[in-house]
Parts: sequence; C-alpha cells; structure tokens
Amino acid sequence: MKSIIYAWRNIWRNGSRTWITIAAVGINTALLIISFGLMDGMAVDMVRNATQLVVGDAQVHHQEYRADRSFYKVVDDPRSVMQKARSAGVHAAARSYGFGLISSGNKSAGANFWGVIPEDEKSAFDLAHHVRSGNYLPDSPEGQIVLGSKLAKSLNATVGTELVAVVQAADGSLGNELYRVSGILKSAGEDVDRSAAILHAEDFERLFVSGSRVHEVALNAKGNMTAQHIAAVMADDHPGRQVSTWRQLMPQLAGMLEMFDGGLWIFGAIFFLAAALGVMNTMLMATYERIREFGILKALGATPYRILKDVCTEALVMALVAVVSGLVIGLSTSLYLQSHGIDLSIFGAGDISFTGIAFNPIWSATVNLRVVLMPVLIMTGVCVGASVYPAAKAARLDPVRAMNHV
Amino acid sequence: MQALIGLTISLFLTAVSARAEEPDSTISPKQILDKVDDLYRGGSSHAKMTMRVRTAHWSREMSFEMWTKGKKKSLVRILSPKKEKGTATLMSDDNLWNYLPKVKKIIKIPSSMMGNSWMGSHFTNDDLVKESRMAEDYDLEVGFQGLRDGQRVIEVTCTPKKNAAVVWGKVIVQVKVEGYQPNWVRYFDEDLELARTLTYAEVKKFGDRSLPAVMRVVPADKPQEVTEVELDEIRFDLEIKDDVFSIRNLQR
Repeated sequence: MKSIIYAWRNIWRNGSRTWITIAAVGINTALLIISFGLMDGMAVDMVRNATQLVVGDAQVHHQEYRADRSFYKVVDDPRSVMQKARSAGVHAAARSYGFGLISSGNKSAGANFWGVIPEDEKSAFDLAHHVRSGNYLPDSPEGQIVLGSKLAKSLNATVGTELVAVVQAADGSLGNELYRVSGILKSAGEDVDRSAAILHAEDFERLFVSGSRVHEVALNAKGNMTAQHIAAVMADDHPGRQVSTWRQLMPQLAGMLEMFDGGLWIFGAIFFLAAALGVMNTMLMATYERIREFGILKALGATPYRILKDVCTEALVMALVAVVSGLVIGLSTSLYLQSHGIDLSIFGAGDISFTGIAFNPIWSATVNLRVVLMPVLIMTGVCVGASVYPAAKAARLDPVRAMNHV
Repeated sequence: MQALIGLTISLFLTAVSARAEEPDSTISPKQILDKVDDLYRGGSSHAKMTMRVRTAHWSREMSFEMWTKGKKKSLVRILSPKKEKGTATLMSDDNLWNYLPKVKKIIKIPSSMMGNSWMGSHFTNDDLVKESRMAEDYDLEVGFQGLRDGQRVIEVTCTPKKNAAVVWGKVIVQVKVEGYQPNWVRYFDEDLELARTLTYAEVKKFGDRSLPAVMRVVPADKPQEVTEVELDEIRFDLEIKDDVFSIRNLQR
C-alpha cells in the first residue's frame, strides 16, 4: 500500500508530463473500447441480419441438396422436422425452391421461385416484414407474388403488376401461371434482391406440379438457443434431414467475421504499441531525472527488486488512472452508440449490402464484457510491461556512480 | 425447342440436300454444309413430329406441328398433350418467343434462358440459333473418310472459330457417303469431353425424299436418359407467307 502512495506522489512530481501520458493512454483505451464495440456491433448486426431475416440459425435439407440445389432432393418428412423444432421452442418454416422465367410485358428475367407458408414466415423470420411497398403474401393462396427489389426493378414491376411465370415443371411440362405483385421487398442481400419471387406454397405446387416437395426447413430460435444447440437438438441420421448451422450455410460470413476479429487484433496492437511507447518514454524520463535519488536509495540498502517494483508501480498507478478515465469515456460513448447508433444513411447509403448480406444503415455498437475488459486489461498490462525496461535500468544502477551523476 | 427444330431441320435437310448427290471425293466439308445452308435458306417446310422424353424424373410424349421458311424463321405449335395444346414457339432471326395459351401471353425468351431445356427435352433453346450457323461459327475439316462398320462414311470435325460465341468445344458429324445421310453427331464440351450424342435412324420416304425419320439425343453424363423425335410427316418447298412467322400469328 505504501508503495502505491509513494508512486502516486512520484508521478505528480512532473504533473504536465504525467497528464499528457495519462491522456494519451486514456484516449487510446477509450478509442479501443469504442471501436471494439462498433466492430462487434457490426458483426452482431451482420449475423442478426443474415440469420433473422431469412436464413435462420440453422436449416434442414436433404444431404445432397446444397451441393447442386436439385429440385428432386427433398427434405424427408418435413412435417416431423417442423414438429421436432417447435416442441424444442424453435420457430420453423418450410420452403420449396425452383428456377424459372418471370415476365412482365416485354421484360423478362430469370427468377428463383420460393414456395412458402406465409403464416410461418411471418412468425419465424423478418423477411416477411421487410417489405418496401405493398404487403407480404396473404395467408391463403390467391395468386400473389412478392419480388426481390432488383428483380422488381428489372421487370419494371410495381404492386399490382401482372406477371407471367414460366417454369420447367416437375413432370417435364411447361408450367405457366399469372400472378399479381402483392409486395416488393427491401434490400435483403444480393441473392434475394436479384432473384427472389416468393409464392404461397400451394401456388408454387400448382406452378411446378411439385406435389408437396420441401427443399428446406429453416429454423430460428430468435436468440433463445445457439445454432450449435439447435443443430444438436435437430441432429438426425436420415440422409433426407441434414442439419447445417448458419456458419456452414454462410461460410463467407463466418469467414468475414474471423477476418474482422483478426483485423481487430492488428488494429488493437497498433494502439497498444503507441501507448506502450508513450509510457516507456515517460518512465525513462522519470527515472533519468532521479538517478541520484535511486543511487541514494540503493546506498541506503534498497534492493534492485524494490526499485524495480517502485518504478513499475508508478507506471501501474498512471495506467490505472488513464485506463479508468478511458473506460469512463469509452463505455459511456459505447453505451450511447448502442442505443443511438451512427446513421450511415447521412452518407447517402440507403440499403447497404456487401457480399450478399444486407447491413442496417444504423450502425450500433455492442457493449459486452469482452469488448470492454479486453482493452482495459491489455492496456494496463502493456503499460506496466513498458515500464520494466526503465525500471530495470534504474534497479541496476551503481549507487556510487549514480550519486555522483549530475 | 428451337434446338430441336434447328437440329431436326438442318440435319434432315442435310440428308435431303445430299439425296441426289453422287459420292464425290472432291467435295469439301464446307461445300457440303454450304449446300445444306443454301437449300435450308431457300426452302420451306411443314412437318408433324412426335417427341418422347425420358429422364430420371419424368417420361412424356408430345406431338407438334412445325413450319419453317429459310434459315431464320420457324414456328412450332404443340398439338398434344392436352394440357399444353396450343403452346407455340416462334423463332425469327435470333429471337425466340413463346406463346402460352393458358395465360394468353407471349414471352420473349431472354438470352439468359437460352441455355435452358425446351419442354423438358434434352434440347436447349440455344441449339437452333447456333445450329443454323454451323458453317459461320466453326472451322470444318474432314477428320475421317473411309469404312466404319462396313459402311463408307465421312466424319466432319467442327472446331469453333476464335471469338465465336458457341457452347461446344468440338462437334463431329458422321455422314454416310451413300446418300449423304447423317449417322450421328457428337457434341463435346469445352474440355473436349463428350457431352451428348445425336443418332439418326429409320430411313423413310417422305414424298420423293428419303431421310432418317428418328433422331435420338442422349446426354453423355446420363446415358439412361433420352429424347427421341420422330418425323410423322413432312413436306417441302411449300408456299408459306411471312405472316405465319409474325408475333401476331403466334397467338392465333
């Protein structure tokens, strides 16, 4: 305790220098907390957008379906899969997919048709509420269709437009039907934007003569369960019911998050290095000024360890003051950014999507133990570590020569 | 569909054009195809055909009626099955339109859909347009001339010209020297792997012309699947008005 008091007195022997160092370390800490929080926020937002919107935490497919998206590789007994999920408290939605042509007037485009059960989509996923104009599909099959934003644009379609769908039906015939646009989605990732043409499951069955083929059961626990946990609950040996988590379904996103994490560490390392050099400089100056003092201390019997400890304690005390003030500033800013966020739309960005994943234009930070404690603890450690060299220099002084140092 | 028409017509016509020719060893493969082209361009035809498709997932049979005029105009109208009766496809120049009687709409096939199958067959939309330009897009040479299985044949190897927008890496056509009727056509992909084989069979007389009445296409990766087209009747060099190949007539 005494050494802390001595340290406290010592660091204020040159107040302005100490203030500058504290300010530098404190600002570094605050910036790290804020940027870690923002980066984490972006990652969380990305995962939430990607999973809550349409993919879900996990999905069940025929084990070969994802490789070639063959119309004929279907989920075996999807009803039992849905039941199992629901009894575990996980939302589930069954979907069918088929490719074809969609046309309006003399405009036409390739589309990926989805057959969905609108009630299930509305309760399990956000996409059903992610409508830019018009409405999502009604609960009963009424020949209505919902389009991805870019697909609608390329077809010049608006709500109410009549569209013709032409597909290769499951019996080899040319399936064709008329649909009326009931709604156009907001941006929801490149895939959905460019190609999604969403139909009621019964309309889909009629168009594709598909029977009740289901290609995908999407599962969403809405944060109540981790993807791994869901995968464990839903695990099934049947080849027609393979479970994949969002990390497997969206490896590019999982990879991007890992990259983010790596980037964060590099970013952090630069800040830590800058702070360490600042602290080292300060402590070198502080020990250089006090060479005679250390000489006397040693002559009076102070062990090198004692001097090492004293100098390091000074650095620790300084670091604590800096880090605590940085924590206060960083945490309060992060908390503000968590509740308010940065509105990126002021930069002219409405719907942002990157590698097929839609971003929320409001960039919010997340505050959790990891993003707060990591900068604080590492910064403290780095500051103390940086003082070891000056401290060791002081500890190894020869008392006689040190006392005669001018 | 278009594929089918193109292949059927150009290759049936290959047979027809060669009908009166005496075997001639001095004729170049280019000349052969040019003759076919010229005849195809100038001629017209009206035919009825039956198509049978067998895939791993469905089997179906359908019949249709087809009109052609010159090289770049053809119209196909489905006669059966009932569900698809009246569905029609028009090729005019390099454009394709489908008429769908069920929804009473005409759809122009976008270029992105040209590679798709027509009516669940093993033909793609692209085939016709490309097929009618065989001599423009490919360099032709005689790869083999002589006896195969006791039959005198010529094999013409077609390699795509530089910058030609074609889907095949190589096409080989085997023609009987006797009567210049086609035996088979082998299509190779860009890696020069066999992609599909067309075979001709059952030479029949239509009017005063003899030609193979059956054509089968088998994809190389799915040997158990087949599309078979049988020519039920065909007449050549009829008066067909250009109006027949109009969008207006398509939805008649």
